[in-house]
Amino acid sequence: MSSSLTCIRLTLFTVAAVAFQIIGLSFFVFGFFPVKPALSGDSGSESFHAPTCYSMGNESVRDLPPYDLQSLYQELSGLPPLFDRLILMVIDGLPAEFVLGKDDRPPNKALMEAMPYTQSLLANGIAKGYHAKAAPPTVTMPRLKAIVSGAIGGFLDVAFNFNTQALLDDNLLGQFSKVGWKMVMCGDETWLKLFPGHFMRHDGVSSFFVKDTVEVDKNVSRHLSYELSKNDWNLLILHYLGLDHVGHTGGRNSPLMAPKLMEMDEVVKMIHASAIMNPDDKRTLLVVASDHGMTENGNHGGSSYEETDSLLLFIGSKSHATHFSSIISNDVNQVDIAPTLALLFGVPIPKNNIGVMIPGVIDFLKDTHQLRALQLNSWQLLRLLQKQVPGFPCGSFPCDGFSGDQGYNSNDIMEKFCRLYLRSAFLHDSWISTELSRSDNREEKSEIIAAYYEFLINANQWLSHKATDKPSTVIVFGVMSMFLSFLIFSISIYSIIQESYSGEKQLSNGIFTQHLDEGFSLSVIFILVISMGSSSMVEEEQYIWHYLISTLNLLFLRKTMQFFKKESTCRFFNLFNGHGKVCIRISSIFTLLITGRILRGWHQGGVNWTHLPDISKWLEQSGTDLQLIQLIAVILTTILILFSLSLLGRGMKIVLVVGFNFLMSGLLVFYHILRYQHNASLPSSNAATSLAQIIYATLGVSTVGTVLAVPWIMPIQISKACCRDRNDNSAVSYPLKIGSQSQYPELIYSLHIIGWVYIGSWCLLQLLLQQPVNSVVTLLILMQIFASFLFFSQGMLQQKQWVECAGSLVGCLGKHHVFDHVAVLYYIGMAGHFALGNSNSLATVDVAGAFIGISNYSALLSGILMFIITYASPTLLLLSMVMYISIKNLETAASPQNVDSEHVLKRILGLPCLVPLTINSILLIAYTIVLILMRNHLFVWSVFSPKYLYACATTVCVLIGVFVVATTVTYAYMVLALRKKY
Amino acid sequence: MEMEKKEMASKSSTPISIPEAFFLHLISTLGLALAFWIAHYIFSTDLISDPSRTLFFILVVQSPIVILLYSRYRTDRHQCSYLKAVARGLLGLPTGAIINAFGAIVLGAPIGAQYFLKTLNWSLVMSLFNIVPSACVFGSSWIDWQRLFAYTKPIGTIDHMICIPAHGAIIGAWFGAWPMPLDWERPWQEWPICVTYGAILGYSIAMAASLVLSHQRGLQHVKRD
Repeated sequence: MSSSLTCIRLTLFTVAAVAFQIIGLSFFVFGFFPVKPALSGDSGSESFHAPTCYSMGNESVRDLPPYDLQSLYQELSGLPPLFDRLILMVIDGLPAEFVLGKDDRPPNKALMEAMPYTQSLLANGIAKGYHAKAAPPTVTMPRLKAIVSGAIGGFLDVAFNFNTQALLDDNLLGQFSKVGWKMVMCGDETWLKLFPGHFMRHDGVSSFFVKDTVEVDKNVSRHLSYELSKNDWNLLILHYLGLDHVGHTGGRNSPLMAPKLMEMDEVVKMIHASAIMNPDDKRTLLVVASDHGMTENGNHGGSSYEETDSLLLFIGSKSHATHFSSIISNDVNQVDIAPTLALLFGVPIPKNNIGVMIPGVIDFLKDTHQLRALQLNSWQLLRLLQKQVPGFPCGSFPCDGFSGDQGYNSNDIMEKFCRLYLRSAFLHDSWISTELSRSDNREEKSEIIAAYYEFLINANQWLSHKATDKPSTVIVFGVMSMFLSFLIFSISIYSIIQESYSGEKQLSNGIFTQHLDEGFSLSVIFILVISMGSSSMVEEEQYIWHYLISTLNLLFLRKTMQFFKKESTCRFFNLFNGHGKVCIRISSIFTLLITGRILRGWHQGGVNWTHLPDISKWLEQSGTDLQLIQLIAVILTTILILFSLSLLGRGMKIVLVVGFNFLMSGLLVFYHILRYQHNASLPSSNAATSLAQIIYATLGVSTVGTVLAVPWIMPIQISKACCRDRNDNSAVSYPLKIGSQSQYPELIYSLHIIGWVYIGSWCLLQLLLQQPVNSVVTLLILMQIFASFLFFSQGMLQQKQWVECAGSLVGCLGKHHVFDHVAVLYYIGMAGHFALGNSNSLATVDVAGAFIGISNYSALLSGILMFIITYASPTLLLLSMVMYISIKNLETAASPQNVDSEHVLKRILGLPCLVPLTINSILLIAYTIVLILMRNHLFVWSVFSPKYLYACATTVCVLIGVFVVATTVTYAYMVLALRKKY
Repeated sequence: MEMEKKEMASKSSTPISIPEAFFLHLISTLGLALAFWIAHYIFSTDLISDPSRTLFFILVVQSPIVILLYSRYRTDRHQCSYLKAVARGLLGLPTGAIINAFGAIVLGAPIGAQYFLKTLNWSLVMSLFNIVPSACVFGSSWIDWQRLFAYTKPIGTIDHMICIPAHGAIIGAWFGAWPMPLDWERPWQEWPICVTYGAILGYSIAMAASLVLSHQRGLQHVKRD
């Protein structure tokens, strides 16, 4: 027995591989989804001074009352306020093309005619239109954030802020409310989520009913005349969703598009006529913006021109009209809105802004004011650059002694910024100093403006590039590291299989006909990997899992049919010996197939076919008593688990104790569901919370207690006669058969108990946490586990007929049934994951269950609960690996000549731990490569990136599960070995 | 032609010659083509516009061809008359349909009243491809069924003729289902249209393959002799 790979070395290798995987994954994630270093805090009065090395500690300014602060800002900024109030009208999903045309061509005639008033404003120069380029992901919330804060958020911001959606970074609305503005919002409730408590009056509409293209906008416009007549607000936000809904239902050329545009035009006309033309004491600025565009089909989310081309219109009063006419270029960025509005209204520019003041908007200002505005913008960007680049010199003379004193990589870029800034500052200073003596020199002024813009635009490009930049070395390192871990995993598996079966060489006769199922279980992985390249396959992944696992089960059926003899048709007295095995196998496969099909039909998951009928919708609509179903599921789960525990023998005291514990937890869950889960009106939510906490405690204590105690109190040397007694009368007492033959009956019994306790506790926890509809799904998955154990335990009749296939990895893995079974358990787990209603979009994460039993809000606890709910099924199947080890793996491990403890442990634990790790590692690498290849794909933000987050979470789930399994089995084995010694 | 076949059948009890197998497959293929032709030119429908009716035409045209032709090659001709073989085929048609429908539904075919006719006709046609021929030839001989479908070890020409097209139809249907979840929004992505296309394609390819394979086997036999 050449033990080339000892247990300790194997463990070390595995741990190293896991470490490589984690390191690689984190490098990749932070390389691919850059988290920009957002500056905390808000800009204050210091933003009107040139940046210096040391922050000025004038905290007293912050405590000023709003009105004083406003006048302080005005005094410091030196810019006279141009407008008193702002109307921000957001038209969701309106492409700028519809209003401004493309490539200097006007939009087509129908669109021109749809918006007559706006077009006339544009033609008269009263309105100034821009193509504002939005950054991907082109979905509403990140775009609104960009509009008000001037910063481009990373993708992970969305994922990290799943619990609080409020915008915490410095932003325009925050600045406005500091100077005492009153704000009103009508429209998309996203604003309310982003800015809770900011609005004096608000009426939020939901964008949930995409088919509704009329009511959403009526609900906004009905307040309009009232708000326009009221004079108490400074900022009115109108967010119209209807146009986006029109796009989603009918695409760009929908017949509803022209009427919708006409409706929007009416709104613009109404605002312009009543608020801007009416020369009351308030000067009003109307900004019409869209958050993103849309594709031909009306979708958005990606980075194509159609989606990023959003509209920006400034509509001022008549008096500014002539100034709006001189246009340099009308291509700006969406982030430019924030600094422009900040400068127009005399508040500090938000701290993380990377935008540049829009040229042409303040042309009517005096020259000094124009230059001052540019200077303020430059100072703000300079501050941001200082923070983002560690070696960036600070102070008002930044380039003193900057001649390469440190080996910083981007020195030359920084030097360029420095030079540009200094040049414009120098020109500006000299211009100011000669102000009195000079004549109106426009050339000099435009030179300064050009110098400022050169700095600003360069800085903007560098910063936005940095926000969306993907450092290739980090990504390559991450991928390499993950690949290395995959190599270690697969080499370990290969060597284990090689070693275990090196003695058993047999002639092969056709691997493809004999071992179709085993070959297929491997190819499942590759089919999955290939299918992940297609975005709709990612969206509809649940179909692939179900299809593949059903095919695999059918192949198992075919394999079982090979042993089915005609004369041994299933008769009841014949069931328990001989060919009864085949009958049990066949019936368990049928159970697997049918439950699998029910699970598939439970939730119409995915993206494209969610509207089709499914069982959960049917149950909810037909008014079935879900509580009853849930209670029945709890009862059946408890009975099933108790039954499987009792298979060990009802006489054993441990079993009785464990069973009683389990029954108690089951009853507690039952009581909780009966009493609290369907009574929304019940006031005593405290009692529900504390009961849930009691359940958590009971489940936790009993599980941990069982795991720790069972190996210690399990009686050594259970009489084999006892086993045989029970053996005869029940064919389903599968562990006993093996147990009686092997050397480690105690280990088998312990693992059997622990395994069922794990499974049972996890199921009860899920029954408590999952939505009521999903309770049956949990039960069905439990049944699948039971059926597959029954199937595996009825041993292959031709167990010894492994095919020897030298050199071929497929053959080597294919010949080993343990690999096969563990892989099947893993697949069932993944199929169950989707059957619970999960999908590859972040929208299906069940947030409601994450607050059960939590008395005061805690992001960590509810995050853990959310993870438990989402990864219920894969974790369940990983935990059931303990059970699997107890029923299956020991029979091969316990051959009498290897009493070496390390060897046995390696044999029983090696594959059940390594196979999930390896499968997951393959899938993770495949997704990583797909994500890299698809980085410019239309759906990279909406489809592939969420999928990648799920893949990362699955990795975490697999690592935790495998760790639990390995620790449990090692612990039980060690304790029993210790006890046997003494 | 008919004379020639009768002679062949009467003198050889078990194996049939390659040209005869070719002839049989040719008739099956022509039958399929005829069914599509009838659907297209007489009733002006096709698989995409009206799948269940087109499948029904295939069934009507193909089932007499398959049952009548394959019954001639029944193995146990001493105990089993031609009519009895035909009756076995007729019995095998609904039985096989149940098996095929079960397989399809387990693999994810939609359930519902609007799909009932489609699934019924599809599974009857699939039954013609995979179950009915061997029902005609082998009857209820479990050993033969097991050899063909559980082990996939065809021995003679008739085994090849039954086994390989049957597997071809199943594998073709399996692959045919893959485009269904894609969001191309084509009408043929509906159940059971692309599955049927896959099955027919697989069946046709496998018929050609079975001829080649049995030809090669025959050569090997000759060499060994």
